[in-house]
Amino acid sequence: MSNDRYSRQSFLGPDAEARIAACTIGIAGLGGGGSHIVQQLSHIGFQRYVIYDGDEVEDSNLNRLVGATSADALAATPKLHLAKMMIYSLQPKARVAGFPCKWQEKPEPLRECQIVFGGVDSYQGRHELEVACRRYLMHYIDIGMDVHGTEKPVIGGQVILSSPGGPCMRCMGFLSDELLAREAALYGNAGPRPQVIWPNGVLASTAVGLAVDLVTNWTRQGRRHAYLVYDGNASTVKESATLRNLASGSCPHFPDGEVGDPVLLEL
Amino acid sequence: MKIHIKLTGVLYGQIMADLVRPHPFAAERVGFVFGRMGSLNDGKLILLKRYASIPDAHYVDDQMVGARIGPSAMTWAMQEVYRSKGAREGIFHIHLHGHAGETAMSSTDAREIPAMIPGFQSVGRDAAHGIIIVSRNHGSGWVWLPASTQGVEAAQISVIGAPVGVFERRSAR
Repeated sequence: MSNDRYSRQSFLGPDAEARIAACTIGIAGLGGGGSHIVQQLSHIGFQRYVIYDGDEVEDSNLNRLVGATSADALAATPKLHLAKMMIYSLQPKARVAGFPCKWQEKPEPLRECQIVFGGVDSYQGRHELEVACRRYLMHYIDIGMDVHGTEKPVIGGQVILSSPGGPCMRCMGFLSDELLAREAALYGNAGPRPQVIWPNGVLASTAVGLAVDLVTNWTRQGRRHAYLVYDGNASTVKESATLRNLASGSCPHFPDGEVGDPVLLEL
Repeated sequence: MKIHIKLTGVLYGQIMADLVRPHPFAAERVGFVFGRMGSLNDGKLILLKRYASIPDAHYVDDQMVGARIGPSAMTWAMQEVYRSKGAREGIFHIHLHGHAGETAMSSTDAREIPAMIPGFQSVGRDAAHGIIIVSRNHGSGWVWLPASTQGVEAAQISVIGAPVGVFERRSAR
């Protein structure tokens, strides 16, 4: 470590600071989950970002959007602006490529990343991000939470690490055609999903922990995939049994070698 | 034109494991790695996808250079490029310099390896081809985009594994 700023995280390894600074991180969605992630990564020392969000701060965001104030809701501050402010306030020399849109509208910059965080609301959105990450060789870390029921609400969530060559979200049993079809049938009719700050904080912290381990390998586990299930009522995060029981690390949904821009093959 | 090269940690491990093996007479080993292009905002990605080791018998005993491969290895490489031309898969000559840190082409590398590129371009004209040199913990790459007669040095090689590796040209930092 070159200075006192990172002395308390020196256990990450002698070259951790340089490794962290050299890594480019993508974040799709800077809302309840993404705002936590941006804040933590900036504290840790990440310097290079490709970030996306086209939304502005609203009153209904203030229960969970880290860094947002009532003044931001009044001024309709872009969430992208809040994220940039967070990064530059902690890392003045950071390189931030920020886009006030969905990542699908400007996908090329994302491809430079080594790690992409998904803070998106839909299963379809997760699927599309994972496809891009496989095709352009990026680790994908997905976070999401939901609240089920009203009489006895149950808070659930997940953190998934999907890496090229390893099991994907379908292998892990998190995504399926049926789920995507059901979501598509509800398109425009799903209503706002419940979101609160503390599960987002747990999930974002867990996701950031996976990313730091990917970059520094401080745990010496060499972990390339993970499916961690959050139980907000029991306040636990546990490894999914589905992933534990997967027979092998290979993925039939994203065969090795299906990378790069698609081309039309002559028949 | 910015060029980034990416490969998975599994492929990187496979390449390194092969290249560090001693050869019966050559001082170093050579391999071929195949990859496809992806678009960046202001450049190109090269996404490496598979590695081919060169059998011992395909080396030529030449003590003037670290390693020299013979016509059978070159013929095989050209055939592979031709076979994969529909998918626009290019070929990259790869070898290891056994030191740590940033590396570059030696004078012999610079004289001899780029001369292979026009041959690869002749059988795979829509693909990018090139040269990659890895050290013990770093790497550099030179990429000839389709129809280009000049190689462009890659600004970065990323190993998407655990741990993630980002090998950057000093001038690109």
